[in-house]
Amino acid sequence: MSSTSQKHRNFVAEPMGEKPVTDLAGVGEVLGKRLETAGFDKAYVVLGQFLVLKKDKELFQEWMKETCSANSKQSADCYQCLKDWCDEFL
Amino acid sequence: MADQVDSMSDAELRTKLAEHGFPVMPITASTRNLLVKKLKLVLDNKSKPRNSVDSKVESRRTLAQYSSGEDSDLDTTNNARERRGRRATTGAAMLPPVTNKTKRQPPAKKGSPAKRDSDKGSESEEEKSPVRTHEEVETVTTRRVTRTYAANDQDDYETGSDSDVDSGKTKKTSTPFRSSSRSSDYISSTLPTNDAATSPPKSSIFSRPSISPGFSSSLSSSDHLNSIRTRLGLTSTLGDRPSSSTYTSSFTPAYQPSTSTVDEVESPYLSNFTRRLSALKADPPKPTSFIDRDVNNGSTVLPRRSYITGVSRPDVVDYKTANDRKFLKNNLVSLALVVLVALFFFCLFFMYIVKKNDITSVVDDQNSVIPICQLNIPGNRPGINCVPKEQVSYAKDLLKVIHPELTSRAAAFKCGKPGALPYLTEREIIDIANSKAGSVDISQCRTDLNNLQVLIVNNPRWGLSVVQLKNLYTKDADYEPITTTEVVVQQRNKGSVALVLSDPSTPVTCLLVNTMYSAGSTLVVVGVMSLLLLGLQRSYKYYVTYQKRKSEEVYSMVEQIIQVISQETEDSGEPYISVDHVRDTLISPQNREKMSSVWDAAVKFIQRNESRVRMEVQSVDGEDCRVWRWISHNSPKRTAAWQGQAFETQEGSVNNLTVSPTPCLKIRNMFDKNDANPNLRSVIQEAIVEKCGEVCNILHVDIERTSCCVYVKCASPSDAGVVYRSLHGWWYEGRLITVKYLHLERYMQRFPNSPSIGPYLKPSGQRRSNWEE
Repeated sequence: MSSTSQKHRNFVAEPMGEKPVTDLAGVGEVLGKRLETAGFDKAYVVLGQFLVLKKDKELFQEWMKETCSANSKQSADCYQCLKDWCDEFL
Repeated sequence: MADQVDSMSDAELRTKLAEHGFPVMPITASTRNLLVKKLKLVLDNKSKPRNSVDSKVESRRTLAQYSSGEDSDLDTTNNARERRGRRATTGAAMLPPVTNKTKRQPPAKKGSPAKRDSDKGSESEEEKSPVRTHEEVETVTTRRVTRTYAANDQDDYETGSDSDVDSGKTKKTSTPFRSSSRSSDYISSTLPTNDAATSPPKSSIFSRPSISPGFSSSLSSSDHLNSIRTRLGLTSTLGDRPSSSTYTSSFTPAYQPSTSTVDEVESPYLSNFTRRLSALKADPPKPTSFIDRDVNNGSTVLPRRSYITGVSRPDVVDYKTANDRKFLKNNLVSLALVVLVALFFFCLFFMYIVKKNDITSVVDDQNSVIPICQLNIPGNRPGINCVPKEQVSYAKDLLKVIHPELTSRAAAFKCGKPGALPYLTEREIIDIANSKAGSVDISQCRTDLNNLQVLIVNNPRWGLSVVQLKNLYTKDADYEPITTTEVVVQQRNKGSVALVLSDPSTPVTCLLVNTMYSAGSTLVVVGVMSLLLLGLQRSYKYYVTYQKRKSEEVYSMVEQIIQVISQETEDSGEPYISVDHVRDTLISPQNREKMSSVWDAAVKFIQRNESRVRMEVQSVDGEDCRVWRWISHNSPKRTAAWQGQAFETQEGSVNNLTVSPTPCLKIRNMFDKNDANPNLRSVIQEAIVEKCGEVCNILHVDIERTSCCVYVKCASPSDAGVVYRSLHGWWYEGRLITVKYLHLERYMQRFPNSPSIGPYLKPSGQRRSNWEE
């Protein structure tokens, strides 16, 4: 956890507002498209899921894997991103 | 079982998950799938490590209370396997091992079609029980012992292949990849109550209602199980240890034989250490190695967990007190040394305090110089420069009598008592002698005193001196010592001779009081000084912050002013705005007086340092007042403008060609290479047509971005000449443009589709008059 990606920092830096799902760290174009087809078109929808899963890392990663077949790195990035955001703004 | 999970209601699913130690979370359309999958996975895997079930549940529960640091510590190396294993095994938490065993025995003996499964179950039970008893006997077992047991078991039962599969499975550590049918069978054998409760139709073989009558209804059974489990979890921290270590010993050899033995041997030590570690909250470097090994090994984490839950606090206290005692023992010598030194200095001090000026010993000293009057020496006069032999003792006695009074007087004087005098005059001495000795002949006493004075003058060692008072009638302590008997005699007649202690010692209390007094006064002085300094520093700080705030106020005011100016000038269209108007816009009436200094500073600042605003006097509504004119260089109006001519191109100029050779022109430097404006072409065309489209006929304008050239085609060479003259040498957007003629053929080559006859390009009119100021 020595450093985080620029995307992560950008996301955590401000309230997410109406940011698209691809602004989440670990979610690129491909994953973003898959998530959008699953109905998760905005970052806050993913946040909702994240919160429904009670910020459980394992379950969230499992869900990411299931929903958009994210690999563990991507889902871990996304999880960390949302977690940091929550720590900051929730 | 698996399909039952699918068909479960949300409530059932939640109950199940809670049973397996999951956090209870909302079951929504999006989470349901996930949770169902999780549950399946759990049910799928729970039968594998049967023995360690309780400790694993315990571990999960305790893990939940741990800091995330520990969690991540585990995660770093092989979290996937760890997690999967841990989560998976929690599934079997529903049944404690003991009940498991009793329930499963009968069908195994029945020899029903479920023989294989039940055999397997019983085999594992059998396999476990001898090992467990062994473990209870001696907690530290080596791997070898348990493995022989396992081998024996495999010989004894025909389902040895099953245990092979088991070990292979653990080696793989990817438990979910088991065949679902088999696992469901498996589950049903280990979880009869659940099966019976949740799926009545499926309980053909494994439901066994007669065997487990107590667990007939699903909710009550689950509650009951929960209570059993919690009781077990709470009470059996010790009981967990053998079972978990059995698990370890039968689990780890498959892939890490060497480290597992080490761990087995060291685990009691480790438990001690971890207990201390968790109790003292200390972080010695040693345990990290153990933890690391734990993590690497994966399975041996579990015993440690159960040990930690079983921390005994009294041990900690013992350890601490023992620590103190040890410290005392080690430092006894040095402490004793310190105490001795302190004692020595204290004694020294005490002796110094109690040291008394014992006058008798001093006076009776043999070394005293006593001038005895001898009759044969003519200069000798008794009481003036010698003492008659028989009167020496009298004089000494007188001294002894007056000495205490002299001492007390000296002390009182030293202590600074008001009105105290350090000396005794002759009259006082005689009074004292009178009061002490009752009725003494005054003349005799006078003689003794004279003799004493002679003695004192001759013996400065006695610590006394004869002094001459400077002022007889005032209570002044001014005196000077007399060193010769002649002077004494002179002064004696004046009555101004007195005795005084030459170096009186100050009494302790007085010394203390004096010291305190001086210290106190010093303190007061220091305090006052520091207070002053503090006040000074405070005020300086305040001054600095005040200045800072003031300047910040001024800066913000300046910014506001500039904003207002730019806004207002833009809105109203007037290029200037009255200063007072700006002030009244920015500052509310009640603050106007208060903010006047800030306002003046801001105005001054703008006048000096703001280049975009110029102050001038204009008449507004017939009244002259100071105004600010907004001079904005980046005004949008000037962006696409012709900015004047650099050199003359009219008729007769050297820059002008007399004849226009072609109707085509090439204009350089009208735009930048980096200009990314997508409508650059139309902008340029508009600019050119505006500049000269009225007086000539332009057919076609195009640009080439790479070479930064603009190509213009006119109706005739003379038209091109007009364009040439009106464009060549002009400044366009800060760039000096140059125009050249171009051959028509080259032009057509470049732009084959360019039109050769009208309509001509004419200015659209909307941007007229922009280019000429």
